[in-house]
Amino acid sequence: MQKTAYSRTAVVMHWLMAASIFFLFISSWWMLSLPLPSKEYSYRVIPFQLHKNFGITAIFLMAILLYVRLRYRPTPVTLDAMKPWMHKLATLDHIILYIVIFACSLSGYLSSAYSGWGTTLWWVIELPDWAKENEELNIFFSDVHLWTCWALLALISIHISGALYHAFRNDGVIRRMLHL
Amino acid sequence: MEATDSNTPLGTSDQGPAWKCWLGIVTIVLGLLLTVSHGNEAMIQVVAAPDSAAVQDKPLKCREDELIEEGLSLMECQLMATTMKNLIVSSPDWFRCFQMTLMAIGTVIAALSVFIGIALFDNRSWASKLAVFTFASLLAIDVIEFIAVVNTGPLLRAHYLWNVFLWFVLHLMLTSAAFVGLQAESKAAQS
Repeated sequence: MQKTAYSRTAVVMHWLMAASIFFLFISSWWMLSLPLPSKEYSYRVIPFQLHKNFGITAIFLMAILLYVRLRYRPTPVTLDAMKPWMHKLATLDHIILYIVIFACSLSGYLSSAYSGWGTTLWWVIELPDWAKENEELNIFFSDVHLWTCWALLALISIHISGALYHAFRNDGVIRRMLHL
Repeated sequence: MEATDSNTPLGTSDQGPAWKCWLGIVTIVLGLLLTVSHGNEAMIQVVAAPDSAAVQDKPLKCREDELIEEGLSLMECQLMATTMKNLIVSSPDWFRCFQMTLMAIGTVIAALSVFIGIALFDNRSWASKLAVFTFASLLAIDVIEFIAVVNTGPLLRAHYLWNVFLWFVLHLMLTSAAFVGLQAESKAAQS
């Protein structure tokens, strides 16, 4: 029998991603006010490494989430809970959300790769240093990172407002992502 | 009442009382934000080490290419070191260790509150009692942090107090709501 709720893995991945993305936003607003890095001024080392770790991990979490969501699809919501236009808007928001999360994370990684600063994932796995330092590409991907992340914040706001709408209606739609 | 079966049809009325649903979703959203907020504050305290470069007034390099890359003026670049120095110098000796410990505890309880929110939403029978306890714990952390910050100096008070007070009010509302809900549940069980 097809279940009405998403799989447990999808639920866990969704909430881990939510926490990661919130952390990435909140920490980035603060860490960019830290003194520019030099031999003496190393304030940015930990926050930037942590930022990159969470950003790269978000891509993996999203890949797992997408896989389990497509592999184990719950039954569609009833018409009472969601009108057709709402369903279309929600589907569109989700597709754009996934694309923008991917674009935001990837542009951040590429900007870092062209900056000449190495990345050691969670201080354990040293990622290959495949890109030569390139100031123009660094600035380009940094700009892409900035604007995709602002777009992501706007999309997340739409996503949360939709979630709150269904939660306050108590129509069962949100329950699908809250069943552990 | 036990948890809703994941096979129950959507849009039915068997979803638990509305207050649990509302309180659950608000708890989840605020819990997530508080978890990362406390985590971020813990990181700030780790980074703002005493006797680090900003406090020792070591010369700060503001290279032109980096200023362009970050969209900064020379003055802003220099002020970044001053801001860090302000944070470190205005913190009493006990504050950094105290704040890191409190924020670590706060992060764990805030993360726990997310699960409590899910349990409330899922209409678990034990969720209301645990919600009152968790919100009261978060409230206690706000009060402790508020008292601690009051006992620092004007710079840290300006930096922290409003934020702590806002969370205090939010947690006060959540605790009251969960307490009223718990009372309503007990009353319903008796009758």
